[in-house]
Amino acid sequence: MIEVKEIEKRYGRKKILKGVSFTAEKGEITCLIGINGVGKTTILKAIMALTPLHKGQILIDGKPIDKHSFEKITFIPDSLTMLPHMTINEAMEFMKDFYTCWNQKRANELLGFFRLDPSSRISSLSKGNTAKVNLLLGLALDVDYVLMDEPFSGIDMFSREEIANVFTSHLIENRGVIITTHEIGDIEHLLDKVVLLDDGLVTKEFSAEAARENEGKSVIDVMREVYQK
Amino acid sequence: MKKYLQLVNFEFNRIVKLFTVLLGITFVAQMIGVVVQSRSYLNLANEKMYKEMMPQAEFLESFGQMSFLQIAKSSWFFGPIALCVAGVAFYIFFIWYRDWIGKNTFIYRLLMLPTSRLNIFFAKITTILLMTFGFVAVQLIMIPIEIMVLKAMVPNEFRLDLGVMEVVTSIPELTLIFPSSIMEFIFNYGLGLLAVSVLFTGILFERSYKWKGILAGLLYGALAVVVLLLPLLLHEFVLNNFFYPIELLVLEIIMGLLVLSASIWVSGFLLKKKVTV
Amino acid sequence: MKKYWKFISILVVILLSIGTFYVKSATSEENHPEFVIKTQSGDAKEIEPLILDGYYSDTSTMNYKSTNVKISSEGSTYERRSFLDQIIGQPPAVIKVYQEKYRSFMRGKGTNVNSFSETDQVLAYADVDYKTDSFHSHDFTFPISILNKEDGSVQSFTVEIPDSENMDYAFMEDVQMIEDELYLITNNMIRSSESSYDEKHVYTIDLNNQTITNDETLSQVPEGQEGNHVVAEIIRTSPTEANDHLILLQKEIKVIHDPESYREEVVKQEVISYNLATKEKESIPMSDLPIDSELSFFDGSSIYFIGVEEQEIVVSPYHLADGKAGEEYRLQLSGDADHGSAPMTTIKDGKLYLSGMQINPKLNMNATDVIVADVKTGEILFKGQITLDDSEATNQYELYLHEMLVE
Repeated sequence: MIEVKEIEKRYGRKKILKGVSFTAEKGEITCLIGINGVGKTTILKAIMALTPLHKGQILIDGKPIDKHSFEKITFIPDSLTMLPHMTINEAMEFMKDFYTCWNQKRANELLGFFRLDPSSRISSLSKGNTAKVNLLLGLALDVDYVLMDEPFSGIDMFSREEIANVFTSHLIENRGVIITTHEIGDIEHLLDKVVLLDDGLVTKEFSAEAARENEGKSVIDVMREVYQK
Repeated sequence: MKKYLQLVNFEFNRIVKLFTVLLGITFVAQMIGVVVQSRSYLNLANEKMYKEMMPQAEFLESFGQMSFLQIAKSSWFFGPIALCVAGVAFYIFFIWYRDWIGKNTFIYRLLMLPTSRLNIFFAKITTILLMTFGFVAVQLIMIPIEIMVLKAMVPNEFRLDLGVMEVVTSIPELTLIFPSSIMEFIFNYGLGLLAVSVLFTGILFERSYKWKGILAGLLYGALAVVVLLLPLLLHEFVLNNFFYPIELLVLEIIMGLLVLSASIWVSGFLLKKKVTV
Repeated sequence: MKKYWKFISILVVILLSIGTFYVKSATSEENHPEFVIKTQSGDAKEIEPLILDGYYSDTSTMNYKSTNVKISSEGSTYERRSFLDQIIGQPPAVIKVYQEKYRSFMRGKGTNVNSFSETDQVLAYADVDYKTDSFHSHDFTFPISILNKEDGSVQSFTVEIPDSENMDYAFMEDVQMIEDELYLITNNMIRSSESSYDEKHVYTIDLNNQTITNDETLSQVPEGQEGNHVVAEIIRTSPTEANDHLILLQKEIKVIHDPESYREEVVKQEVISYNLATKEKESIPMSDLPIDSELSFFDGSSIYFIGVEEQEIVVSPYHLADGKAGEEYRLQLSGDADHGSAPMTTIKDGKLYLSGMQINPKLNMNATDVIVADVKTGEILFKGQITLDDSEATNQYELYLHEMLVE
């Protein structure tokens, strides 16, 4: 379980996060929803200790993050973080060198699934393919938790579909996923849990399934209620 | 340890192109220097001895023999060395900032490696050291080759042969890069390493706190200099030359190690707790 | 392994190249020639305690790097100045010994031999200290420390220098200790409205009261004589032996203005013996020899006036106790030695040691003299020359000797 407790973050004078708390369970897909600039990416970075917090605490399976945590949790940012002159093969080689949890078999599976040529250079890839490589490098790690920042933004429709398919496959099964997005259309049906963010605070944290079953509302309906209040 | 070596290898591979290009420029420019300087000496000799009928002995008396020092003092020789020095100086900053710039911000990847983040610091400082020593080492190999070319071009009686050691110890600027004793080598480059560690800390301050970080970095640098000079200042102005020179040297070495450890500790802290992507 | 090849190869290149360079530089014995003192006459045993310090430079390579060399009866030994030596520096031999024996006492006391005086019981130290701001110097004091060699106790105090308002600077020329009194001989530069001039002072310090009991000016600018000035030089003594007399060579110099230049002429020359304890001054008669204060020597009982005349060293002894001049004698220097420039001298245990200072084949100086003589009679005990052992060896070098030690 990832526990985010009362985290606060300022950029200069401006408070971005004013005490955000939520949890994300293993085996569930948790979605952080909010308009651009609400601090979704900052939360993911903070979980990975990529940016300092002014207050609050984040625990992963009950412990604060340390170097060993990176074999248990991975972050797929909204752009690929590999050197552009590397080929996909070299990028996979790099991951294999540094992560014991790298799963080459799964990587190969993903290569086939996405129809990527491993000898092509990262800098020569199309936007969609770059996003796929980004996903590949993250998902081929045998980690318990995957954080994804806007995996669908700025990507063509077909690639979007392919990526969305990943979420229903065994590649995601049993893992805890936190995903951020500002438009949930494509993936609404995939979500287990939704965290709505506004003005630096969690406005609502609810189970998508419960909302559907108990109140007969879709995620969009709940969002509409919250934001139009 | 293994992760550190892998990181060093990775970082080194990232500069290997720049490194080889600089070495290539150095070799070519210095070779041209050897040829140009030798030619101009020979032309002078020809002119004086054949056109003006100056006897060989008189020519040697008034113009001297040709030695490698004439080449080593020319900008054909010094220019590329200065370029390499500038390259290293530039790369001390670029080795960090290149990971933040562009849309493929590699620093995400580096900071998320399942290894101590201090290893990134160590790998980068080792790479700077490797690059520096690489230039020094290859230059030491180039000089004998250049001397051979000189020997091939200028006849014996017009030539004063010098060894590599004699060449590098005869030019004060070169003795900085190639000190004549191993002790000095360790001392000079140790001081260089210390300076790089302080610069790295300053860069990490900037990366952690942006504008305020620049100020913090500058303050840290100033503090490092003061701490380093503290024994000398106390000795000179407060303690009335209390220390013997050997004690001062030991104190300075201790201060240097202190500043180095402080830089490593502060950098480690910043990388772990404060750095932001 | 394959992806590490670049890294491994640069590592190998670095280790091999830089390693070889420093191994070579550490092991390569630089080709320095062997210098020897060749006996021409006398007993070679006489030069056994003699060590000459200097430096050798090879002039064939245009790089004017010099190497330290020590020349003794056993030949020459070269010492490349290591990095550590350069940092530590080379204090005079006497100071080195003091620093080893009295390490904590010698802290912060500098390396000026003239600031120390040693007796059987104590090692005394005194120096001149002052503050300087942009226009003038002020707060002149004597920091004084006396180490009792028996029980290791140290007496330290500072006294103000009297009448120092017009002083520009001052330095210690000698320190002597007789019983409970310390005598500080200083050279003070005095600022006056027209020009500056030097004064030699002897300050007597009572160690019990820690005060200056007497301030005697030994030489001053003469009154009236327009344009003349007085230069006083102290005749050398052994730095480690106590003396109750101070011998001064005082010259009155007249500046003669020619149309385009000026020259100096010694108008009057006087030797003064000053008894530190009784403060009595006595003029010592002297012949009209050329006297070089750098060469002359006072061994506590006799003064040996030494000067150079043509290719001869002229020595005239004067015995203080009975006030009589001794027999003057001359020592012949070889023709090609130093072109008449002064040699180094020192006197120890009744023997006069003399050595030339330079060998430079380019200037036709291929050898230089070493002479040991009985200082009283001038009888030559040893005569020889410093020269290359192998005369066929290089002739592109310079050898300078700068210190003479008799152990």
